[in-house]
Amino acid sequence: MSNFSETQPAPNLTPTSEPACMNTTTRILTVDDSPSMRALLNHALTTQGFDVAQAEDGLAALDWLALNEVDVVITDINMPRLDGFGLIERLREGSRHRDRPILVLTTESSEEKKARARAAGATGWIVKPFDPAKLVAAVRRIAH
Amino acid sequence: MNADEIQAIFFAECEESLAAAEQGLAACKAGTHDHDTINAVFRGVHSIKGGAGAFGYIALQGFTHTFETLLSDVRDGTVAITDGLIDLMLGALDTLSDHVAAARGLGETPDDGALQAELTAAMAANAGVAPMPAPAPVVTAAVAPAFDDDDGEPLSDFDFSAMLDDIAGALDAAGADSTSGDAPVDAAWAVKVRPHAGAMRNGSEPLLMLREILDLGGQCVDCDVSQIPSLDTIDPGTGYLGWTFALPSGVAQAAVTDIFDFVGDGCSLVFGDATPMPPVRPQATSIKAASPPATPLATLPSSAAVAGAEPPIAPVPAPTSGVATPPAPPAMGQSIRIELGKLDKLIDAVGELVIAQAMMAQRLAGDGLAVTEELTMLEGLTRDIQESAMAIRAQPIGSVFSRVPRILRELTSSTGKHVRLEVSGESTELDKTVIERLGEPLTHLIRNAVDHGIEPAEARLAAGKSPEGTLTLSAEHRSGRILIRIGDDGKGIDRDRVLAKAVEKGLVAPDAQLSREEIDQLIFAPGFSTAQTITNVSGRGVGMDVVRQNVKDLGGRITIESEPGKGTTFTLTLPLTLAISDGMVVNVGDQTLVVPLANVVESLRPEPGEVKGLGANRAMINVRGRFIPVLPLHIAVGAAGAVEAAEHGVLIVVETEGAGRAALLVDAICDQRQVVIKSLDTHYRSVEGVAGATILGDGRVALIVDVDGLVAHSLADIGLSEAA
Repeated sequence: MSNFSETQPAPNLTPTSEPACMNTTTRILTVDDSPSMRALLNHALTTQGFDVAQAEDGLAALDWLALNEVDVVITDINMPRLDGFGLIERLREGSRHRDRPILVLTTESSEEKKARARAAGATGWIVKPFDPAKLVAAVRRIAH
Repeated sequence: MNADEIQAIFFAECEESLAAAEQGLAACKAGTHDHDTINAVFRGVHSIKGGAGAFGYIALQGFTHTFETLLSDVRDGTVAITDGLIDLMLGALDTLSDHVAAARGLGETPDDGALQAELTAAMAANAGVAPMPAPAPVVTAAVAPAFDDDDGEPLSDFDFSAMLDDIAGALDAAGADSTSGDAPVDAAWAVKVRPHAGAMRNGSEPLLMLREILDLGGQCVDCDVSQIPSLDTIDPGTGYLGWTFALPSGVAQAAVTDIFDFVGDGCSLVFGDATPMPPVRPQATSIKAASPPATPLATLPSSAAVAGAEPPIAPVPAPTSGVATPPAPPAMGQSIRIELGKLDKLIDAVGELVIAQAMMAQRLAGDGLAVTEELTMLEGLTRDIQESAMAIRAQPIGSVFSRVPRILRELTSSTGKHVRLEVSGESTELDKTVIERLGEPLTHLIRNAVDHGIEPAEARLAAGKSPEGTLTLSAEHRSGRILIRIGDDGKGIDRDRVLAKAVEKGLVAPDAQLSREEIDQLIFAPGFSTAQTITNVSGRGVGMDVVRQNVKDLGGRITIESEPGKGTTFTLTLPLTLAISDGMVVNVGDQTLVVPLANVVESLRPEPGEVKGLGANRAMINVRGRFIPVLPLHIAVGAAGAVEAAEHGVLIVVETEGAGRAALLVDAICDQRQVVIKSLDTHYRSVEGVAGATILGDGRVALIVDVDGLVAHSLADIGLSEAA
């Protein structure tokens, strides 16, 4: 029983100007209860050569992470069952994901929201609706 | 996946979000005001807003923003939940639904100015009585209908004029530098960076940020190693190193502060060559009382020490995070989305598989290999595959039921009647095609119930009823079919008036003796309308016959139970699927027919004399004390060479909706099997008494009997020929 789909990089990979993190494909797990938002993230990331998996909420993400390796997690905040902050908290509890780069999707860029995301353990954030170029830049900024 | 496909996903999601929000608000209306309920509504609206922004539906985004802001206040408890507020939100949901339709190109963009003002007023009006100490920001945020915080460009974070000052200041510094000759020729300004422990928390990697400065064209001119302590006192988590970068004049200071946006005060930045490197912040002393969030860097004067010399590492996570609602509703379960076309292809293939399996069984039987283990296995597997494939297409009927509250709201406002809705069996599943085509007849029946069934409040009170009418909507599985009931507790069908009207319209003879059921059925006659004045609710009497036709097209039946003064209930009996059903294969003379198993009650072989003639053309049989009319099927279908004496054939007792039980006389029962229904309408034309056709194992085509139609028709024919 799994509710995520793995998407292989699109065959027509556009060459990136940044070879640093492209030696091995960066794997990203996107967590959002909105299928269209997942599709948008998936589209924006796979066309840039990232390897993208999807989960529809925090619990599904935990299930997936239990069996898979990932380089970056991008998560929505307000989701059913387990929300984004709850997911980050659970990931940071253990040693395996303590230093995992995690971006949260937020609709606001106020200092208050940023401080809250930071306090929750997020590495960074992406403001929705996102510009694909900024999304990719944010991922590259934190991808180890 | 292209943009159109993602957009299609978005619209499908909008429908789900709207349904979820509708459900949440209905629960609110019923008195459930807990956080999870409100949050479900919020999440629905929020999700639509997110997609609307991404796809550039400005009007939709603007409206969802206002609505979401109010919902956010409601969720946070700054706005109290009142009946008026819930009604306002329900109205907003209707408008939102119109906005979504407009975005899809299915209607005009609604004029939401007044409603937006009302929503905004709801926030402002309630903010005054709110228990929160500082409601003011909420109000100001709400009053602005714009959504500048969402456009992806956090303008508010950057003070543009201050930024220009910075650049000017940096240029001055560059002038000083160029005379010293130490810095590269195009170095216009300098930045000093000292990451603290915070820059390494939460998976941040300062090295990546330093690399980004290099990517901007910066050059590392100095690394401060003076603060590294002796090895025995070193704390690996503390940032002992500081770097000085020289950046070209073309690079804005904001581009550098942007790089360090994620780490906030976890990294100290100072601009200008003359400013000293920020001091090391030992981890131990950095854990202090919480202080206000970091000041935006760029708003500070140029060439001065800025940002985060003091504030501590991020405070301990507040109880904002956490596990949300543990019991996930089934709709939220794990799922994937499949294009319907692919699914239909699968169902088609399964249908062919069922036929192929039957053909093979027949061939093997011909070779004397009827009962082989492999064949039995194949049969079982075929059935499993078929059931699974059907289950994929099945959807809960709740998606249709969830539209009803809105219909009712519109009806109550246009008729002035008060109606309460009771729904049960929303999770009953049936085929998606059936669900999609159910909306129209259901809507009409509901309108009919409110318009004609439920009385105005005064009339109800006079009749000793509660002034508020009740509409019940239910769905349930019953022996391979779905029963959907739409009931009201209104005045019931006025049979005298219906009959009078029918006579007046020339639909029945003035002296016709009709049973109660027959009179009820008259309301389905084309052009029939009993309303004294035509209302704009139920239309002009073109509805009920269309309803019956719609239901018939779905392979279903519609029946009425009505009691004067107590109310009326319409029952729709629908097949689970339109593609495959269980049937009894029978021989009648030179024809092979299929009787749907859903109609079959039992079959029996009568003894001579058990079937008793009644008049010239009628015959009855007593089945355990109950007299049932016997219908020779060969007469109805015109088959030649059939068994004429009942004792030489087989009687199949069937249950019909309109005409009760009847016994069909056939020659023999050949088989009981699944049949893949092929529509006769699309390949030939609609034929009375025939529900469709199917392909048998030997490749021949057999007609599927429409038992209801056939029995009703045959009994009427007999009645006529007797009268003649």
